[in-house]
Amino acid sequence: MRIRFRAAALAASAAALFPAAWAVIAAMPPFGEHVSPYGAAVNAVVPAARHVSNMVAAVNFDLRGLDTLGEESMLLCAVTGTVVLLRGARGEGTSGSAVRLPGRAIAQRSDATILVCRFAATLLFFFGVYVALHGLVTPGGGFQGGVIIASGLLLLYLGEGYAHWRSIVRGRILSFLEGAGALLFVLVGAIPLALGKAAFRNILPLGTLRDLYAGGTMVVVNAAVACAVAGGFTLILLEFMEETRAPETEREPGEGG
Amino acid sequence: MIWLTGIMLVIAAAAGLLVVLSRNPKRQIFALCANGLVLSLLFFALQAPDVALSEIVVGAVVVPLLFLVALAAVAVARVRK
Amino acid sequence: MSVLPWCVAAWLFAVGIYGIATSRHYVHLVGCLSVCQSATYVLLLAVGFHWHAGPPIFYDHPPGTPAVDPVVQALVLTDIVIGATVTALLLAIVVQAHKLSGSVDPQRLRPLRPNA
Repeated sequence: MRIRFRAAALAASAAALFPAAWAVIAAMPPFGEHVSPYGAAVNAVVPAARHVSNMVAAVNFDLRGLDTLGEESMLLCAVTGTVVLLRGARGEGTSGSAVRLPGRAIAQRSDATILVCRFAATLLFFFGVYVALHGLVTPGGGFQGGVIIASGLLLLYLGEGYAHWRSIVRGRILSFLEGAGALLFVLVGAIPLALGKAAFRNILPLGTLRDLYAGGTMVVVNAAVACAVAGGFTLILLEFMEETRAPETEREPGEGG
Repeated sequence: MIWLTGIMLVIAAAAGLLVVLSRNPKRQIFALCANGLVLSLLFFALQAPDVALSEIVVGAVVVPLLFLVALAAVAVARVRK
Repeated sequence: MSVLPWCVAAWLFAVGIYGIATSRHYVHLVGCLSVCQSATYVLLLAVGFHWHAGPPIFYDHPPGTPAVDPVVQALVLTDIVIGATVTALLLAIVVQAHKLSGSVDPQRLRPLRPNA
């Protein structure tokens, strides 16, 4: 489709939809005045019913755990699709040195970068574990902690270089983490079914309010989601990084990693 | 507090426009970082700390990194041809 | 002020669609898609917001203090993380399309034909 025709179609549809959009905007309740009954019910009932203080994590991992299982499988499918697409065209082997782009100087990694990245990657890793662990009492949770762990692992690449990074962060461990997280989530939903109760029912002891390990099966689901998200994101970034590596035959003799 | 939420909403709209108007993908990466930061501040103003945490890490770290590596992969594939 | 969030959400979505329709680089197109996604985040969180209410975390405040809606926050939270994964999948498709056809310009790529 030519660009002028596309722009004209866009303008026509915008002109046609604009009165409808304006009618919807006028019919919405004023900003900040509307209290949704489901949210108010969750805020009133859940601290006493589930002994957790983070309502968002309670909704994600217990009250609407089935939706989060759907999101988890979307994560799994997207990561699998990315890996299959990129690895299928490239092959399974790994390589150490990057492709030389013409006209680009190869900068040496400075000592300051290496030092700062070592500190920061370690700090980020532990901070991610902290955020994931405290997900049920303070803002945080498996999703946030998992992504922080993934970004910490990627900062490690900046400091160590590709060959050392691949020896620390292995693809098989990441795949195992991701699959184990998803499987644990499914098990938490299926085991109550096998015991004769409803799926995703909270069968573990609930604990006391504001305790770190309160919440029953929510603690398990939180950990499973953190593992799966950390493994999934690092695996995606690893596959993309592999795309920029030179194949073994293109390396000049005497060239290091 | 009312003014803070209103100003953050307007800045978020401007950041979104900036992402679209940066046609060069290498420049768009920085616009995406700014967009992620501004959106996370807006989510803080809307009393959603979990969502803001998530948006900071994803919108300002992971997605720009993904874009950077995808552009590098495209450049490498172009060189290999 | 009472219609500003709905207008900002509609504006972000319209701007994103405009960017997608007039893009000349597939990676730029994926960035505009993320702008469309952020429009839905703004809309959902603004629906759940209530003036003079705090976040739905009852660690420092006793349960019963006014708090905003946690259900839409749960929706947006998972949406952000999974949206980043789908962006990664789209970028992998862009890299593959470039390898197969040699171009990242949406105007230049033709649909695949069986005997091409």
